[in-house]
Amino acid sequence: MAHANDRLFDHQMAREFKLKKTRALVDKRMDLSDAVAQYVEDGDSLIETGFAYARGPMAAYWEIGRQKKQDLVGIYTPGGLNNLWHEFGGIEGAHVAYVGVEMRGLIAPFRRGVEAGTLKVFSDWSHGGLSASLRAAEQGMNYVASKSMLGSDVMKDNPYVKLGEDPWTGEPVCLIPAMYPDVAIFHVHHADKYGNGRIWGLSVNDTAIAIAAKKVVVTCERIVDTDDIRASAANVIIPWYCVDAVCEVPYGAWPGDMPGMYYFDRPLQEQVVRVDWKTPEATKAWVETNVYGTKNHYEMIQLVADEEGMNVLDYVKRLEQFACSAAYFGIGTWGTGGERDWKYEEVAKRAI
Amino acid sequence: MADEVQYTPREFLVVVASRLIQDGESVFVGTGLPLVGALLACHLHAPQMMAIYEGGSIGPEPTVLPWSVADSLTFCKAPIILSMSSTFGHARAGYADVGFLGGAQVDMYGNMNATCIGPYDKPQVRLTGSGGANDMASLCQRIIFMGLHLPDRFPEKVDYITSPGFLDGPGAREKAGLIGGGPWRVISHLGLMGFDEETCRMKLLSYHPGVTPEIIQQFTGFELLVDKDVEETRRPTEEELHVLRDVVDPNQLFVF
Repeated sequence: MAHANDRLFDHQMAREFKLKKTRALVDKRMDLSDAVAQYVEDGDSLIETGFAYARGPMAAYWEIGRQKKQDLVGIYTPGGLNNLWHEFGGIEGAHVAYVGVEMRGLIAPFRRGVEAGTLKVFSDWSHGGLSASLRAAEQGMNYVASKSMLGSDVMKDNPYVKLGEDPWTGEPVCLIPAMYPDVAIFHVHHADKYGNGRIWGLSVNDTAIAIAAKKVVVTCERIVDTDDIRASAANVIIPWYCVDAVCEVPYGAWPGDMPGMYYFDRPLQEQVVRVDWKTPEATKAWVETNVYGTKNHYEMIQLVADEEGMNVLDYVKRLEQFACSAAYFGIGTWGTGGERDWKYEEVAKRAI
Repeated sequence: MADEVQYTPREFLVVVASRLIQDGESVFVGTGLPLVGALLACHLHAPQMMAIYEGGSIGPEPTVLPWSVADSLTFCKAPIILSMSSTFGHARAGYADVGFLGGAQVDMYGNMNATCIGPYDKPQVRLTGSGGANDMASLCQRIIFMGLHLPDRFPEKVDYITSPGFLDGPGAREKAGLIGGGPWRVISHLGLMGFDEETCRMKLLSYHPGVTPEIIQQFTGFELLVDKDVEETRRPTEEELHVLRDVVDPNQLFVF
């Protein structure tokens, strides 16, 4: 089978794939573990969505680790904690615009993987360049002519972009081809059973990715009625015909940020970035306990809560309320189809 | 002196940075120290600063320090939320006056590195990669860079040009097709630097209290030009420190 990189910029293959996808309104709900088993295949290119650690589908990423998927190709604009799987054979290499956790620093497994040569960097990009590549796919362009990356080593070393000349003005431009990842997983606030996904906050690149990617899994905080989605299409960023599976996964972005609902699990993030993932041995031990040693996302959260001796979910919710109280109250009464009260603890408890 | 205001080097860095932002300007805000500096400016003298965050938020009301340039704190009370490609489109279109970013290295022509230390194919240290830094440096009208001042962080030539400064000197940006004005200020924990108009080389504009231009030269990996009006940087005021500590960062995310 051809390498994921050989089909990443193949316009015709991407088109043929999508011509075969159903447009019918069919119920696509399934368990997260089934969705990951079915739609994330070994050797796929997997693009990170949201802003990686803000509204990222973390539950799905832990599940990818749990199922020991092999030789994925990461696409990071940006990328977060998910790239640790390369130390477990899960990720062969990556197309990188950014991998890190901003003020919290570098992600140790990524750093040591690239330095040791065990994690290949197939290409470096700027955020603007990689998002333009996805946007080109969304807009049906073969390529776009950008003013980013010019003159830099990023452009020089990237094998996919080319220096071009604007035919009107003659000025140099960076030609960026449309990219079509094999699979994307999104985490949204609400989705209906057909896959229409609605968020509150930043879409980042998600609409472009949904249209560009061949296979799409949507995880959501809550499944809502399709009438509720149709009553207001504003904030719907993922359309149903792109979507192959819908999974209800409350707290699915934990330990990342879910706008209006819960904030970063700060102690956990600090702990993994600064301590638990500092060496390959420590990382392995952490994964054995927290990922392989748990059946699903909620067992994992429970384990962390037990270790930390506090209610993790309550903590991250309170952080978000403190940070962003106006927004929190906004979303609490927003578009839930008559059921105004989120009854959040019950949802989580049921899932646990 | 007993009544002298106490501060850390990083606090100084951020305070100096905030003073470079003028009210009413649009600022494309990078993560890390720039995020702190931009928010501080908003809360001090630039309430009408228009922040652009690459995740898609434009013009939010200033709040407390976020963890990420794309978390909920960046778009609470934003009047509009767009996508990542749109925010960089704004910079290309001419809506971004200042690009405010950090990185591991900056060289004498203001080229910036956030990709790797050592050769790209076999790095001694692999860093985060560009993120939005390259786009900001390519497209924004003026670039402010913040970093720590050590000889290997201020080398003659960066190990990797993640974000273009003046490349290899006068005329190079234009030749490469870059549209933004390029590097404007560099702030380190030792001094504030600008760039010589003719040679495009970095020059010292002011030195922070406790150091001299000679000391700063010792911590710089190339010959640093010195402005003829070089002076000591004004110390942080009590108000600046109070707003930084109690308003911008009450959760102590930025503790050093």
